[in-house]
Amino acid sequence: MNIQDNYQKNKKKIFFSENKDIQTHREKLINIFENDGFDKKNNESLKNINLKNFIDFKYRYLISEETSVIYNNQENNYSIVSVNGQCLSFKDDKIEITKILDEDYNDFSKNDTIENNDHFVNLNSLFLNSGFKIVIKKNNNIKIKISNIITDDDLTIFQKNNYICEEGSSLNLIEEYENKNNSTSNILNVIKLEKNSQLNHFLIQDNSPNHNLIITSHSSCKKDSKYTQKVYNFSEGYVRNFHYSELIEANSEADLQGIFFLKDNNTCNNKTFVKHLAEDCKSNQVYKGILNDSSKATYFSNTHVDQVAQKTEGYQLSKGILLSDNASYFSKPELKIYADDVKCSHGSTIGPIDENAIFYLRSRGMSKIAATKILISSFINEELSSIDNEQMSEIIQKKLVRYLSKVK
Amino acid sequence: MFLEIKDLSVKIENKNILKSLNLNINKGEVHAIMGPNGSGKSTLANVLAGKEDYEILDGKINFKDNDLFDLNIEERAQEGMFLAFQYPVEIPGVNITPFLHSAINSKRKRMNEEEIDNLSFAKLLKSKASDLGINIDMLKRSVNTGFSGGEKKRYEILQMSILNPDLAILDETDSGLDIDALKIVTDGVNKLKTKDNSFLIITHYQKLLDYIKPDYVHVMVNGSIVKSGGSEIAAEIEKDGFQKFQ
Repeated sequence: MNIQDNYQKNKKKIFFSENKDIQTHREKLINIFENDGFDKKNNESLKNINLKNFIDFKYRYLISEETSVIYNNQENNYSIVSVNGQCLSFKDDKIEITKILDEDYNDFSKNDTIENNDHFVNLNSLFLNSGFKIVIKKNNNIKIKISNIITDDDLTIFQKNNYICEEGSSLNLIEEYENKNNSTSNILNVIKLEKNSQLNHFLIQDNSPNHNLIITSHSSCKKDSKYTQKVYNFSEGYVRNFHYSELIEANSEADLQGIFFLKDNNTCNNKTFVKHLAEDCKSNQVYKGILNDSSKATYFSNTHVDQVAQKTEGYQLSKGILLSDNASYFSKPELKIYADDVKCSHGSTIGPIDENAIFYLRSRGMSKIAATKILISSFINEELSSIDNEQMSEIIQKKLVRYLSKVK
Repeated sequence: MFLEIKDLSVKIENKNILKSLNLNINKGEVHAIMGPNGSGKSTLANVLAGKEDYEILDGKINFKDNDLFDLNIEERAQEGMFLAFQYPVEIPGVNITPFLHSAINSKRKRMNEEEIDNLSFAKLLKSKASDLGINIDMLKRSVNTGFSGGEKKRYEILQMSILNPDLAILDETDSGLDIDALKIVTDGVNKLKTKDNSFLIITHYQKLLDYIKPDYVHVMVNGSIVKSGGSEIAAEIEKDGFQKFQ
């Protein structure tokens, strides 16, 4: 079934289908699908993807009542269980959780940082069936952990979440995606950081082989705010991590980092994009991957420096270790600089594990497999040792040990 | 015989490097190999340690009654062979202390000896580091990462003294060392020397042999040992160079 027929058939079940403006926007999106014709060669959002899974999908969605929000007063910690993309409404003096509204949809649809030919973001807007909005109130410092649960096989979740960190607030957000069923989640996180706010965002992805996760985020940072995102992808199923950040006011920062661990025939696609739109802003984009067997990955990193964004500092780095001759990692860094007083750099190194280092370790009595594992751990040591949350660190270490146990 | 190399011929990328090389080392002996650049000295060290880039064309090597070619790299190390690298490899993110702890225990395991616990190992490491004038803070760093040339060589000798090998091969350990560092490193080697272990020292210059007294000196040219004798050969080379041996 083509996109238009699929949309028409399920229109009534989709969020905001009564809203005229949103309908008009969705019709435009359908036209983009039809005109673009899924040009895999020139469209970054389609590279290395089995399109059939995502275009000819059977729309299926179930509402679940199992969502919960638990506040632990002692640790200032909120535990949220989001089920099939929905979350219970909740309100106290620090945060407010609600469903997303028409205005949130419209607000995002006006943004042009994400190219309008990113078909997965367009599919998200077209078939939107879930999502929530979390507001961190002014000057509060809190922690939130969200477990994203999918209840059934063959579900298609199209979820849009809004996070708003009000002025002077600080949020430590851990999101877990650990699903075992045969479903697809297409999630768009829209994140707004007001003046002098901070968000440390950790995404732990560990889905089974039949679960597809397409996650896109768009963050915008106002004066003196900082957005840090760290993605840990251990999934055995397909994952797309596309993350965009806009530094819209002076002295703001975006730090987008990711590590992925691939094996078998798995694929993951990654993209980070930082737009510097104000002076004295900093950005950092670092992705590292370990690829075994016949796995494949791509990473596109982009820094765009507007002509007003003087004194910009923007760094990009991509590193990969290929543990097998059949694994491949394609990395493409891009810089577009229109200001003249900036410090920007990019680097990319991908290759097999260093044979001289293996020889050195083995010459001290370590087995080849132990030496390989120690070198893989050392490759991501900086990222692992910088995790200052003990619980998170333990979770990641366990998943790393599980991945390494399969390395031969 | 402790180490017996018989008619060893080795090539790499279609280039013959070692040609019918013969060398015998007994327990408790110190042997020095001197030779010009490109004569195959480092290739010999790497082949002994088991580096897999080389093709063995002919010959045999026996080490402690084992056919060396039956042992892989780590088994050779566990059997008591140690190579002090000419260019020690930097390994960011691998901390020195757990790495060395794991190395010593892998050897003990093969020898059916009890593994050394954390506390005993920390004491051993601290004492050996102190003997070699190595700052304790250095032991908190990653293997060879950000070390100066002298620090790297000192750290190689620290590893050697911890692992206490039966046969230590020092591949141009003197290169890149100033005179003070050379004294510390060679003191470390001399302290380790017993009647039960042997050393194979590879060097260009006589200077190192002023501090470590060899029992035998061999001249290696074009992949073969062309002359063997005592310390007088080193003095001869210092005076006249390698020209007359070629």
